[in-house]
Amino acid sequence: MIKKKGFAMTMVVLLLMVAALAGCGGGSSSSDGSKELTFMFRGGTDEQKAYKEVIKKFEEEHPGVKVKMVVTAADQYATKLRAAITGNNLPDIFYFAPGDLKAYVNSGVLKDLTPYIEKNKDIKLDNIWKYGVDLYRYDGKMAGQGNIYGMPKDLGPFALGYNKTMFEKAGVPLPDKDKPYTWDEFIKISQELTKDTNGDGKPDQYGTGFNVQWALQAFVWSNGADWLDESKTKVTIDDPKFAEALQYFADMQNKYKITPGIEQSQTLDTYQRWMKGEMAFFPVGPWDMSTFEKLPFEYDLLPFPAGSTGKSATWIGSLGIGVSSKTKYPDEAVELVNYLTTSKEGMKQLVDAKVQIPNLLDMADEWSKDTKTKPNNKQEFIDIVNDYGRALPGNYTYNAEWYDIFFTDIQPVLDGKITAADYVKQEQPKMQKLLDKAVEQEKKSQK
Amino acid sequence: MITKSNLYRKEKIYGYLFILPPILGLLIFTLFPFVYSLYGSFTDWDGLGQMNFIGFDNFKDLFTDELFYKSMYNTLFLMLGIPIGLLLALLLALGLNRKIPGTTTFRVIYYIPVISSLAAVSIMWNWAYNGDYGLVNQFLELFGIKGPNWLMDKDTVKPALILMTVWKGLGYTMLLYLAALQSVSRSYYEAAELDGASGFQMFRNITWPMVKPVTFFLVVTNIIGGSQIFTEMNIMTPTGGPEYSSASIVFYIWDKAFKNLQMGYASAMAMILGIFIFIVTLIQFKMNEKSSFDGD
Repeated sequence: MIKKKGFAMTMVVLLLMVAALAGCGGGSSSSDGSKELTFMFRGGTDEQKAYKEVIKKFEEEHPGVKVKMVVTAADQYATKLRAAITGNNLPDIFYFAPGDLKAYVNSGVLKDLTPYIEKNKDIKLDNIWKYGVDLYRYDGKMAGQGNIYGMPKDLGPFALGYNKTMFEKAGVPLPDKDKPYTWDEFIKISQELTKDTNGDGKPDQYGTGFNVQWALQAFVWSNGADWLDESKTKVTIDDPKFAEALQYFADMQNKYKITPGIEQSQTLDTYQRWMKGEMAFFPVGPWDMSTFEKLPFEYDLLPFPAGSTGKSATWIGSLGIGVSSKTKYPDEAVELVNYLTTSKEGMKQLVDAKVQIPNLLDMADEWSKDTKTKPNNKQEFIDIVNDYGRALPGNYTYNAEWYDIFFTDIQPVLDGKITAADYVKQEQPKMQKLLDKAVEQEKKSQK
Repeated sequence: MITKSNLYRKEKIYGYLFILPPILGLLIFTLFPFVYSLYGSFTDWDGLGQMNFIGFDNFKDLFTDELFYKSMYNTLFLMLGIPIGLLLALLLALGLNRKIPGTTTFRVIYYIPVISSLAAVSIMWNWAYNGDYGLVNQFLELFGIKGPNWLMDKDTVKPALILMTVWKGLGYTMLLYLAALQSVSRSYYEAAELDGASGFQMFRNITWPMVKPVTFFLVVTNIIGGSQIFTEMNIMTPTGGPEYSSASIVFYIWDKAFKNLQMGYASAMAMILGIFIFIVTLIQFKMNEKSSFDGD
């Protein structure tokens, strides 16, 4: 008898182990019979709070549906998602970068949302940013057209902010929000605002402090250059216009000294310097609004300084919300995506939480006209989306390895150890080789 | 009807059942991934879709891949920490082996880093290496030295990582040496003393040969562990450091596999790494056989 019990126990333990190994799939029904969806996303603390609230409301309005939220740190999100895909353990609903769209569609990870969206009368696609929706269209050959495989969580126009209080204190005329600075003007004003305020011989207030990875684009594009040509198969950084922009960027630190040097900048993060009010200009994304609400100074938005084209330029980020092709509850999953991206109720909550600009055109119009809340010139965000914002170069290609390596190798240029002209010459073939590989990979994945 | 053989059979079943979990574990978590990865290394798999067999193409590409050589070199460079760590640990162990007050406290102090989470330790050192307010530079400032921005400079990032890994592993290595030292019979030293041997002679002729098995064990495990170093750089230099100068080979594999959709290529690198570790270990075993033969 005892022996029998032992045998039974062993079997139970074994079964438990097998269950533990196998029980990793998403989209299970919970014990009370309701349908459970898993939603994997990322975002800062304010953003997480906002999304929690919206999901709570969604659950109230949709009895029988439960949403399990999985949050990961921003810099680990993409890797975790890839691991989940490889491990066949994908959440029902998840964020994904527009650059990954082609790979995910070709490998059958994403569900085609088009029939669900067409069926739903509440969704008016012409009331959502066309740019945003097009980011998630793909017809099997070209991104930007065809069926919809995700909805934009939001659009993230990357604007330039300035510390209004600092300008007023220094008696510098405020920037014109409709006319961008020229490069020379930008240097001049920044030099005026770079100061040693406590008399220790070292400046403790700077004109600016850009992160090269996120701010160089504005200078390259406004100077008429780009990373890629029209066909997105040739790396064009060896253009002299490109080198000029990169040199200008590096000179901000080495020649004009309007930004903290290498020793200072990386350590006390420029973001923190801006937050402490020690920086005149700093880029602002919509996701920063809730944090910048509490800044100890007034700030507002203006266009990035314009290079030789005379026109300001910057990028628009975006994340899509997609549905797993293997979800058990496609209707409910798409419903949640719609709630988060296109419904008035959902959108209003997220916009009020100041974590994004509205996805809906009519709501955005109303929102940008409200000049009582910070930042005053919200119209700049809208202008970027409507007029002059672009996608980041890595978005166009099958993977962004070729683009990443540009920033991996760039430190000597920023430190003034080699010139921008030399750098682009040395870097172009390396990047081209990686891009060729990505193009080849894309072709293979299509068949 | 219970016969003898029936009884045995039952026991046999129990026996198999009890060893089944580790065997299953080995099959599922070690052997299967290994074979899968071996196959993957001959394909253009992107980690998502189908696998196309492409023969040795991945391995051919490796030979011209600058970053592969760079990350391999970085990994080898970081192994400089191994002899440094062994030497320091042995010295410490010799010190702590004496009958002086407070040795227990010191042993605990040196062992704390070993049981701390590697991620937590990495984050802590990340602060310590900060160019502006980091502990390391503040310490250097006491002597009037202006320290560099350790993790942002390609010349200092590797020494910085070495210092940290040595510090982290010191307690473990020391403990093993301490145990080895304590198992050396006192009579050898007494005999040597009677013969008038100096301290250094005693160390050279008694202590060092006696702790040799431990040294061998540590060298082998440290090299295997050192080839797989990853967490430290992933946390401290998440982009691979300035000009990829702190990226280890495992970091590069991870980068290729999960960031750039080249699982097949990453598998090929993992195979090369596996072969490398296998060969190095084999050489060490051979060398150990030989030298211990000579010694006796």
